[in-house]
Amino acid sequence: MNKGGGAGGGPTAAAAAAAAQKQKTLLQRVETDIANVVDHFTFLVNVARVNDPPVRNSQEAFMMEMRAARMVQAADSLLKLVSELKQTAIFSGFASLNDHVDQREAEFNQQAEKTDHLLARIGEEAAASLKELESHYYSSAQRTSDPPQP
Amino acid sequence: MDGKMEISLDKLPIKRLDAIEENGAERFPTDVGYDDKRVSLIRRIDFAWAVEKDTKKQKKASKEEATPWPWQSLVENLRLAHQELSVIIDLISTVEANDAVTVASMTRPKPLPNEVLSDLGVSAATKLQCFRHLSKYFKQSAKALEQQIAREARFYGALIRLQQNWKVKRQRVAASAPGNEGFSIDLFSNSLHDPVAVFRPSSLSTVRVDHDSAGMLAVHLPPNSCRALHFGFLGGHLGNIPKEPSKTKTHGPDELPSKEIKKPLSDNECVKETHSVLREGHQAIFDEQVFDLVNREAFNSSSGVNVTGIRENYLQLNIGQGASVFMSLVPSGQDDKTADGMGMQNLESAILPMDTFDGVKLSDGKHDNDKKKSGFPNRISSEIYLKQLFHEHVFVRAKDKHISAGRTQPSSQPAKDGFGLLGHFCMSLAHRIFSSKVLMELENLVSRVPYLHLLSHPTWHSRTSSWTLLMKVPESSFHPGCQTRTSDIHNVKNIIKTHFRTKVVINDDCINVEGDGAPNVVGLFKGSSEDVCSMNRYDCDLADIPVILLQQVASQVIRWLHEEALKVGIKANRDFLCLSFEMDQGEMLSLVAHVNPDDPQGCISWWLVMDDGFSEDLKFHTDAPDGGSEYRKFLGHLSLEVLYSTLMDLVSLCNGGGRH
Repeated sequence: MNKGGGAGGGPTAAAAAAAAQKQKTLLQRVETDIANVVDHFTFLVNVARVNDPPVRNSQEAFMMEMRAARMVQAADSLLKLVSELKQTAIFSGFASLNDHVDQREAEFNQQAEKTDHLLARIGEEAAASLKELESHYYSSAQRTSDPPQP
Repeated sequence: MDGKMEISLDKLPIKRLDAIEENGAERFPTDVGYDDKRVSLIRRIDFAWAVEKDTKKQKKASKEEATPWPWQSLVENLRLAHQELSVIIDLISTVEANDAVTVASMTRPKPLPNEVLSDLGVSAATKLQCFRHLSKYFKQSAKALEQQIAREARFYGALIRLQQNWKVKRQRVAASAPGNEGFSIDLFSNSLHDPVAVFRPSSLSTVRVDHDSAGMLAVHLPPNSCRALHFGFLGGHLGNIPKEPSKTKTHGPDELPSKEIKKPLSDNECVKETHSVLREGHQAIFDEQVFDLVNREAFNSSSGVNVTGIRENYLQLNIGQGASVFMSLVPSGQDDKTADGMGMQNLESAILPMDTFDGVKLSDGKHDNDKKKSGFPNRISSEIYLKQLFHEHVFVRAKDKHISAGRTQPSSQPAKDGFGLLGHFCMSLAHRIFSSKVLMELENLVSRVPYLHLLSHPTWHSRTSSWTLLMKVPESSFHPGCQTRTSDIHNVKNIIKTHFRTKVVINDDCINVEGDGAPNVVGLFKGSSEDVCSMNRYDCDLADIPVILLQQVASQVIRWLHEEALKVGIKANRDFLCLSFEMDQGEMLSLVAHVNPDDPQGCISWWLVMDDGFSEDLKFHTDAPDGGSEYRKFLGHLSLEVLYSTLMDLVSLCNGGGRH
């Protein structure tokens, strides 16, 4: 996680502690959710036995439904955790963002320089062509032999 | 109790017959006991009004407590549900317990085997059904969760990609719509700007990130909110507003929904499109800021800019040279609609890349009118120049603040001359217009004097232009073995001189002509001809340019002829435009140049004038246009070779003793 990388970078001890705390909380949530899922599924499997008194079966049926719902809810909560992590990554991934921004900046600077050079070259070529064309025109037979035109 | 009193009447307390049976027995209603009578009487009193009052009071009292917490009913329901569940659980445990209870003296009947098996079968089937039901539920949930994962992955993937280039912000407010986490993209970068100059934040600066129908992220700019800076020259046909070529026209935001309907875009395309939309917004903000800056500078009295018109989002300036420009903010989608036929007609002049080429192409005179009018710079390049100026201004300032990396541009820093950016821009445009006029004059001139060449010197400076008029004289028939003359460096230079240059430099709207060869007044008084070969500099107006240049050129020709004459050993006198030879009898034979910029056949014509000292009076009177006087002969517009041979003829005419 980015926080692990950022903690060593430069933030204060308090920020590092807070980050570690948050990391622990998240891990705990993950573990809780997964434990939930596993427990409920275990129960479901265990309850597969058909009992004699039918009332037990109905009871177990209700319990199974409830546990299934809890499982899905745990899975949903895991998904939300993942979303949260992604959002955190978006807003806290400073190292990679900075790197990327620097890289883009370098790219753009290079491109700007290249464009400048290109423009300068175009200008020079245009000037050279102009000079050549002018000298050709003014020393061409057409001009020197023709009388001055109105 | 309100004022109404209701009265009801009782039946008389006499015994009434209830029913008679067939056998005649009568039936009477049963007697009501005393207590019952009292109770029924009490019941008949209507206490509803009191009850209502009480309930109203209770409601009022309870309303204040209930409204703040909307979850109260939910909690109440859950509590009741919990209560009932506990009751049920108790009941079930009781039943179970009872099931296990054995009555002391009885044994439970042993169920028959088939009963046992059928019971088991039913239970098994029920359980299986239950599991099947669960499995369906799980499958559905799994599918939904997978879809959600996919949607989120797309959304966040795209958002992370956008974040590489744009500033993504989050507002932690309660999401009003499901799935809206409050992301937004901030297009307004404050860091680049002078904190002193407060820019009005555009309505575009924050763009909300939404989910579209497929769960992918989508950004929408408000329709018609993107405005582009538009620049143009004023004047009927020049006020054309052609299509918007300065921007690659991307699809406007109102076209986005239709695209979604067409076909589902891949994620890459979606992100790219989003980038384009954001870039449009960004450019619109930049244009608005540029317009803002332009307005500020225009109304800053020291900027040297002349404002002639102002409307909402419109500014008109007079830049001199008889030209006016306007700048406006127009909504991006509208440019197409305002292009009219006149725009197409002027597209030719708009496409020409450099205004300096106008004169060259239009020498046949047909487009003489257009020639004058299309001397305006290209509209698009002017617009780009304006934007670039302000961008550099903003950018350089910001960069200087944050980083000390020097990004000095070759273009001049306009702030130095105190005009400000807008002033500099207007003066650049004015200069372009003026220099195109000058160029036209120069080209007209050069086209009529065959031995003049026009050379352009690109200065790469927006307010300076420069040309050279070059005259190449033919090689003299005497090889420059005459370098053995005195070692005066000045003379050595003169001998090998085959090019005469006149430089024309324009700074803003000042013309400066610099040329060699013509004697200046001071040099004339000094006497000797060698001292007069200095560089001359003039400042002049547009109207005077042809005459001055022609005089310069003619004097250069005279000088050349003079040197040639000196080379062959003839003493000749040189005046401004006149070369004189002394004849045997004391007569003076002069070759005189006559310049006339309006002469259609050539600008420099030559006269041969004979002055015998007695005909001075006549010289002033005989001004015959055909030059038929006995003292002056019109030679015509001569080329340099012919002039040279004429000179040689004159030299041989003068005397034969001067030649080496």
